[in-house]
Amino acid sequence: MKVDIRELGQFNHLASLGAERAARSLSQLTGVQMDVEVTDVSLVTENVLAETFSGKSFVGVELGLEGGLDGETVLAFERERALKLQDLLLQATGSSDELAQSSVTELGNIMIGGFIDGWANHLGTAINMTPPKYTEAVGPRILPDQAIQAAKNHGVFLFESKLEAMDVDLDFSIYMLPEYRQFVELLSGTEGGNQIPVNRLSAFEKLAKEGAGNAAGQIGMMTGLDTDVDVSRLRFVPLEGVPRQVGDDRFVGVVFELKGLPSGYLVVLFDEGSAKTVASSMMPGGGTDEEGVGPMTEGAIKELGNIMTSGFIDGWANVLGTSIEHTPPNFVHDMGSAIMSPVVGKLGKQQEYAFVIDSTIEIDGHQGRCDIYALPNERELARALSALPAQN
Amino acid sequence: MKRLDADTPPINRQKIGIAEYAVVTDETVLITSGLGSCLGIALHDSNAMVSGLIHVMLPSISQARDSTPAKFVDTGLPLLIDEMEAVGARASRLQAWIVGGSEMIQFTASEGSIGSRNIEMAKQLIDEHGLQLVGEDVGGNHGRSIAFDPAVPVLTIRTADDTEQTI
Repeated sequence: MKVDIRELGQFNHLASLGAERAARSLSQLTGVQMDVEVTDVSLVTENVLAETFSGKSFVGVELGLEGGLDGETVLAFERERALKLQDLLLQATGSSDELAQSSVTELGNIMIGGFIDGWANHLGTAINMTPPKYTEAVGPRILPDQAIQAAKNHGVFLFESKLEAMDVDLDFSIYMLPEYRQFVELLSGTEGGNQIPVNRLSAFEKLAKEGAGNAAGQIGMMTGLDTDVDVSRLRFVPLEGVPRQVGDDRFVGVVFELKGLPSGYLVVLFDEGSAKTVASSMMPGGGTDEEGVGPMTEGAIKELGNIMTSGFIDGWANVLGTSIEHTPPNFVHDMGSAIMSPVVGKLGKQQEYAFVIDSTIEIDGHQGRCDIYALPNERELARALSALPAQN
Repeated sequence: MKRLDADTPPINRQKIGIAEYAVVTDETVLITSGLGSCLGIALHDSNAMVSGLIHVMLPSISQARDSTPAKFVDTGLPLLIDEMEAVGARASRLQAWIVGGSEMIQFTASEGSIGSRNIEMAKQLIDEHGLQLVGEDVGGNHGRSIAFDPAVPVLTIRTADDTEQTI
């Protein structure tokens, strides 16, 4: 069985349209203007679920899907944002406190209904929703047990649409977890498409882990600071969603072109404070008097970026059995979204979606962090994965 | 359970992402962020009070395998003009602002930067459609975020070091 990348793109598009409908209903009900930041899909294991949701306390609304599409949908708010939403709903409806919880449930019902509409049309069959259930949990338990079990067994496709409010902190996510076997059937396209054999999908997690693990190790060696890979995930996302995912904050970093199988781009970004921290710890004597981000920080980040990237692509070469090289570093110090814009522009000539390996490395406890974004050429990655020997 | 219902709220700002556009007939401020090599093109007809903003990524649809018109200068700009004409604007009255097209990263390919080709294509089309280019802040090697305020009309540009200018 093979997964057709165009089909995956089609479903991502449906999820994205659904999230926009959901955002509109929420805007109408609360008076808060909502935008869909981005919709992505990744194949995740139990470990990745644990990393993604760990330590956060959630309030959610859960609905099961049956019929044309089996699976689960969850609307998940971090607790303080759910409280904010309850306040807004109380203002909008004038109802009493005890109704706030049922208002959130009702809201979830309306939004998930909108989210699922397009899927039923696309599949040409009805999708039935089970009644909404209000849930509260810490960590990945906010997701349904079946989904967690499936992640343990063979991985689970996790669609995530992030919604953000314009003027208040009401950001939250809609998750959709289709039943694995049925969904894989839906993804099988026509022969000759751009396809990845299903039994190679597990290599996704290895690609994400090995590269980030090596890069984190290199930071540790160069700076003497403790490093830890916090999250590393391979997401499938529309190209134009990538800059938005990175955001408008100012970063210091380096951009590399990758050559080989696959070719692509690798971007290493530090927030300004973290860039200064790692640069200082690379200087003899352990410090710089440089004000702001100047030539010394630039030199250090370029050197570190170079070594991290070599480590990262060595990790890939191990998984894929191919050889990959990288260009010298391009130093950047600008808005994250603007840094990503020429990268997605370059890829945009060949593809509409990107596999983004998105890793966060924590440096010296919570003192600093570094984000790595790797964007391989989609067709070349599919080719390299297809060429791997079958796994048992 | 009480049904939730509320009127559509008054919205006075609208955010546009990459490969998206918006057309408004009131004083809604149109904003887009993270313009690197991408280009933001704002159009305005003050007679009809119609404004539009598009955030395009690449110069020409003919160089890509994709068919999203709002992603490209040569399909996005005509699309924006059409949509604005549909609500009362006239191309001959349209004022245009272009922002972005910077060269953030030196790539190895020799075909010229995406930013400069975006600028070139936009200027050529603005000329061909007989629009009046009233403001530009293009090129360089830094990112920009913009807000277009139809009430004035004016376009405000912000960079990562928090400098601000209006054109």
